[in-house]
Amino acid sequence: MADHGGHGAAHAHEHHWEWSYYPLILVLGIFLSVPVAFGFFFQYHNATLGIASLGLGTPLLLWGIAGWTSEGIANRDKEPGWALTGLPFFIVSEILIFLSLFASYWMLRLTADVWPPAGTPHIGVVLPLIMTVILVSSSITYHFGEMALEEGNKGSFNMWLMVTMALGLVFLGCTIFEYNHLLHEGFGFGANAKSTAFYSITGFHASHVLVGLGAFVCVLVPALSGKISHSLVKGAGLYWHFVDIVWFFVVSQIYLW
Amino acid sequence: MKEWIFTTDHKRIGIMYLVGSMAAFVVAGIMALLIRLELSSLGPTLTDNATNYNVWLYFHGAAMILAFLIPSLTGFFANYLIPLMIGAPDVAFPRINAFSIWLFYVAIVLALSAFMVPDPPDVMWTGYPPYSVQTTGNTSMYVFTVHLLGFSSILGAVNFLCTVIYMRAPGMGWNQMNFFVWATLAAFVIQLIFIPVLAAAVTLLLFDKYFGTAFFNPDAGGDVLLYQNLFWFYSHPAVYVILIPAVGVVAEVMAGMARNPIFNYKVAVYGGAWAIVVLGSDVWVHHLYTSGMVDWLRIGMMVTTLIISIPVGLLMISLVGTLYRGSIQYNTAMLYAISVLFLFLIGGLTGIPLAMTSITLHLAETYFVMAHFHYVMAVSATFAVFSGVYYWFPKMTGRMANETIGKLGFVLNFVGINLTFWPLFSIGVDGMPRRYFDYAMFPEFEPTQKMATMGAIIIALSMVVVIFNWVYSAIAGVKAPLNPWGSKSMEWTHTQSPPGAGNFPTPPTVSADWSPYNYGKHTAQTI
Repeated sequence: MADHGGHGAAHAHEHHWEWSYYPLILVLGIFLSVPVAFGFFFQYHNATLGIASLGLGTPLLLWGIAGWTSEGIANRDKEPGWALTGLPFFIVSEILIFLSLFASYWMLRLTADVWPPAGTPHIGVVLPLIMTVILVSSSITYHFGEMALEEGNKGSFNMWLMVTMALGLVFLGCTIFEYNHLLHEGFGFGANAKSTAFYSITGFHASHVLVGLGAFVCVLVPALSGKISHSLVKGAGLYWHFVDIVWFFVVSQIYLW
Repeated sequence: MKEWIFTTDHKRIGIMYLVGSMAAFVVAGIMALLIRLELSSLGPTLTDNATNYNVWLYFHGAAMILAFLIPSLTGFFANYLIPLMIGAPDVAFPRINAFSIWLFYVAIVLALSAFMVPDPPDVMWTGYPPYSVQTTGNTSMYVFTVHLLGFSSILGAVNFLCTVIYMRAPGMGWNQMNFFVWATLAAFVIQLIFIPVLAAAVTLLLFDKYFGTAFFNPDAGGDVLLYQNLFWFYSHPAVYVILIPAVGVVAEVMAGMARNPIFNYKVAVYGGAWAIVVLGSDVWVHHLYTSGMVDWLRIGMMVTTLIISIPVGLLMISLVGTLYRGSIQYNTAMLYAISVLFLFLIGGLTGIPLAMTSITLHLAETYFVMAHFHYVMAVSATFAVFSGVYYWFPKMTGRMANETIGKLGFVLNFVGINLTFWPLFSIGVDGMPRRYFDYAMFPEFEPTQKMATMGAIIIALSMVVVIFNWVYSAIAGVKAPLNPWGSKSMEWTHTQSPPGAGNFPTPPTVSADWSPYNYGKHTAQTI
């Protein structure tokens, strides 16, 4: 990755100008597949350009993530593990964004005359409780994987990681099933104040599950050929546990209250 | 070329932040000039279409705050200076740093495309519903500009917190760091905690406008005040994201040019910068005084708003104290730094009546508010940026900026600023409302509006001079000596100008009695 620059050559302690393709590629991918595509689809109602922008952006996005991960994996022995301090800082930010959503929900709910407002179908609590079991199990299976890794058992780690990912996928499947069911009953995004809060908060949480799964893919693919970065494993796990904990708040506030 | 475009080096990324934020500054400045020309006479002047005027207002505000002030202070200065000041070879996560700069650049592209797309965003920099939800304008562009810049800033905050925690030169204690490093850390903590709230607010806007949810729709139980609260919960602290590093830059310039240590260093750090971080989260409601709220909340927020002038005052005392009995060198950097004291004083004192709930009922939404925040935040912080660019110009380019052209630019700038904004206080008190496209009902304000427009033209001239000077001096300036200001700070004493890859020829270490302000034992007193 490092290229030989002309500087500092006079000194025994030689430095290079460091560079990497992937930050720019990733940003272009994000730019085309989120703001640009969204604008085409929803503001200008131009599906052709929207699909074109997504079609260009998504491969760039995936290329950026893959390239970045492989650079990180290649340098895994040199990296100092500071990411495990940085990630909790980032999670502070995430907590605040969830808190803002919950605050908005509380405002909607506590100023309403009747709750749930008219037009809200019955939203069952059995499925979310099953989903809770699934997500908690996935945190536990990942922990088993980490324990196996500490004992040096990479094969066992890969197995537990795949179990974790499967549980995450089942969780997302449950969300899709539930949304599908509710939308069929005519409970659209804009039906009333309850639908506003329900879809925003559960959807935002589901998007975090998806990000967590993406992080696991970045752990799994190199791990299958035996390349494991300690920071990446710990970091992805930390994020997954965070997403798991947020789910308790989602269940208690949205479904059980 | 590859080593520039794909660079992960903090100095190059810093310079890219400077170039990008100055580009945003120029375009947003042209918008300001268009706004002022439009207002120079009664009735339509430049355009018949008030929506054009709204787009100028949108771009001017959004770009000046989000794409110029915040990225130049927490992007350019933080990137360029923090690793050099703490003796580090780079930041903790260089590739994330590169990721941040590119997020910033695509956000600027998105913001600029407002001039090219049909239905451009016309929602000010605040994006208040219900207008932003009901308009046919492209609110999504505003929302994603905020998202991209916010993501960039949050990652920057994570990066620099880790950098300062882990990468200080061996032996450097927390209280041996430059004040600028502390100031910027405080700003980053604010970014980390409060930006997500703004991101959430604009996301809900997006849901409401495009997916029909009801967060801000009163008919379905929503509330537009929810948006205002979420928005100002970040956007008031954003003022401190700008203020604290700006004071940090000014403090460094003053210490170097007056050859004095920072007066009351620890009081400025803990009682000033960090107290602002804590108190700054409890004053946002003063932006909503006239939006409707219960009285006890209004009184409480008046008290907190007045209390926050105490830590801000402590910072100012440190700045003035740093000058006391110094051997002051009045060059361009120092002139800008000292004028910050005057401009901030005007802005600060006019803030006190605005904090008073009774007086603010009269002054809210008038030019008085507009003149106040331009003095206290916009102009003061911009002067701090210019001061810093002049001060570290030899460090970045290896050449000295031309002093004569620099002073000419400063004088024009200072005169223009005051000619523009000082008269606006007066018509604000007389009732001239903000944001109006036309003021046919107030013909008596036309001469004052003309005066302000003249000031704006002088500012525009001064900007031409300043930017010409930077470009000219970077190419053809006199070669700079290694430490032209005789500073004791590490970025001047331990490396060449501009520093090479890896920053320091040998990794620096510092002793317990080292200080970046060690200008002779008898003056080196800190509490």
